[in-house]
Amino acid sequence: MIGKLLKRRARTVEDGSIVVEGARKATGGKGKARIVMTMAVFFGIFSTISGRLVYLGFQTPDLSGGPQSRITASRPDIVDRNGEVLATDIKTASLFAEPRRIVDADEAIEKLSTVLPEIDYEQTYHKLKSGAGFVWLQRQLTPKQQADIMQLGIPGFGFRTEKRRFYPSGETSSYIVGLTNIDNQGISGMEKYIDEQGLSDLQASGLAVAKDLKPVKLSIDLRVQHVVRDEIAAGLERYRALGAGAVVLNVKTGEVVAMASVPDFDPNNPYNAQEKDRLNRMSAGLYEMGSTFKSFTSAMALDSGKATMNSRFDASHPIRVGHQAIHDFHGKNRVLSLPEVFLYSSNIGSAREAELVGIEGHREFLHRLGILERMQTELPEVARPTEPKVWKQVNSFTIAFGHGVSTTPLQAAVGCAALMNGGYLMNPTFLVRTQQEAMAIAKKVVSEKTVEGMRYLYSLNAEKGSARNARVPGYRVGGKTGTAEKVINGRYSKELNFNTFVAAFPIDDPQYLVFTIADAPHPEKPGMTDVAAANAGVMAGNIIRRSAAMLGVKPDFSHENGATLVSYE
Amino acid sequence: MFRTSDIVLIAVMVSAAALTYKTKREAEDQLAAVQKIHNQIRYEEETIDLLKADWSLLTQPSRLQKLAELYKSQLALEPVSARQIVGLSDLPAKALDIQDILNGRQGGMADNSDKAPADGKDPVVTGGIAQ
Repeated sequence: MIGKLLKRRARTVEDGSIVVEGARKATGGKGKARIVMTMAVFFGIFSTISGRLVYLGFQTPDLSGGPQSRITASRPDIVDRNGEVLATDIKTASLFAEPRRIVDADEAIEKLSTVLPEIDYEQTYHKLKSGAGFVWLQRQLTPKQQADIMQLGIPGFGFRTEKRRFYPSGETSSYIVGLTNIDNQGISGMEKYIDEQGLSDLQASGLAVAKDLKPVKLSIDLRVQHVVRDEIAAGLERYRALGAGAVVLNVKTGEVVAMASVPDFDPNNPYNAQEKDRLNRMSAGLYEMGSTFKSFTSAMALDSGKATMNSRFDASHPIRVGHQAIHDFHGKNRVLSLPEVFLYSSNIGSAREAELVGIEGHREFLHRLGILERMQTELPEVARPTEPKVWKQVNSFTIAFGHGVSTTPLQAAVGCAALMNGGYLMNPTFLVRTQQEAMAIAKKVVSEKTVEGMRYLYSLNAEKGSARNARVPGYRVGGKTGTAEKVINGRYSKELNFNTFVAAFPIDDPQYLVFTIADAPHPEKPGMTDVAAANAGVMAGNIIRRSAAMLGVKPDFSHENGATLVSYE
Repeated sequence: MFRTSDIVLIAVMVSAAALTYKTKREAEDQLAAVQKIHNQIRYEEETIDLLKADWSLLTQPSRLQKLAELYKSQLALEPVSARQIVGLSDLPAKALDIQDILNGRQGGMADNSDKAPADGKDPVVTGGIAQ
């Protein structure tokens, strides 16, 4: 076809060129002028268009619509060991207005107040009349409010979705999970830990997309955590104490299964989180632990090889160092065997045990158990224990029964766990860890024989001694109380105590350790006592009774009498 | 002037244009549909997140405890006592009476092999405990 056309044209040129030339001349050369005119017109039009385009390109566009929703603020969910949500991101809508586009401010406010009755009329009016490009009117609306406002159809109003951190468990896990600030950055607890693990870098580079963030699984068991929080909150009220706390530790893996401290705060509305008494007493509070420390003293005496279960210590009269004297609370005033020192919680006997080991040995042992080191764990709120700069004989004596050094309850619990699990010291963790992983980093600190002795002492103390209140039928609890005089303004108070209780169960092969504290408790009723057995011990017993089944500890009544309830009819 | 070939060419051109238009139009429709589905997915995902948070709020142990205490008179729920938890080996053996011994099928499987599929595809026969 095309070939044919070409051929035809070619023919025309060959034999009709003169005709064509003639036809062109016939128009009198006017065609050229017309073409130039047409070109000029088109050029004019197109240059106007492109000029306008360049002009618009240089113009800064009117930024309406407010700030973009930040995708960088995404955070991973935090879940407990069973996958229950502890912290999550939820999207909320926030209402903004563009005052320049508002036609009638009065009408707009009137309409808006039908949905948001609490809105401040005058303030909103000034905002809408300010002529600003963008103002926030109300943050974090419910989905229903958002739908209602959309129904009103007010021009110049719009919504931005914002991410907000939500903690379904509220106070229950407040200290462990922690808090985020308004920019969704972790500022305390595990939230802060997650940021330090590289999340903040991800957010800064804009790569923190909600979908790619895997939930962070904690070692916490929400059910046990609730039991612990519930019991200490009840204890705080019952004993009118300043504070209370408890930790449940898996002694085989070092996982913290539950940890709570009251008074606490609601992470969804943390208006009081900065108050002075809102402190995670378990990891950030430093206290003298009192007689609970005798666990370490007895273990030290046994582990040094200088004492055995049959060793005897003279507690018949107080020890005098300089002008200070060490007395017993319930003095037996006789020579006591090592188990009796533990059972009667003899200060003199414990001091004698420390004397046997020596000052340097005593200090080295406590450091070996990590009691006086700064604890290594994920929580950022960890206090550094204090000890005397120079240990003198009197320091060693008092430290033997838990006065003179301050440490955190969590650390003391970890130290006790090492005495229960076969002598392996492992850092407490708030993340899930298997026993193999725990053993890989564990440090052997005391011998099997010492552990065996300590288990015996704990069970003996629960049978005959001060830990009877924490006994739970079927779960073979062993434990030790500690009643320390509270230090107030650098002096020991005669009225107020700091009470601790450590319990391990089942004591023949401990799996869990419960450590409870009660800060300045009062007697439950007039006439009752305020020593540790009456408050910290009771709380520990309740926690074990309610949580042992959830922790998977099998009840065993073979040591006790009484039939099981199951039978066929 | 118009030859058949020209007409054919024009027809081809017009139909090509029509086809292009139609394809483009369809592609746009599809894109819009994809966009809509994307939006819907996002909305659903957000709703799932919200519902998960809601679920977790509703199943909080502290809330359940309050409810259990509140409706104690009707539900009569009590914490599990340690004595109520036993292993399989702790269960006492069921006493046999004379009828069980006479029946002789105690603990056996009910014979339902006749119900097996005829073509033999699934030779596994499940059975209940004989009564």
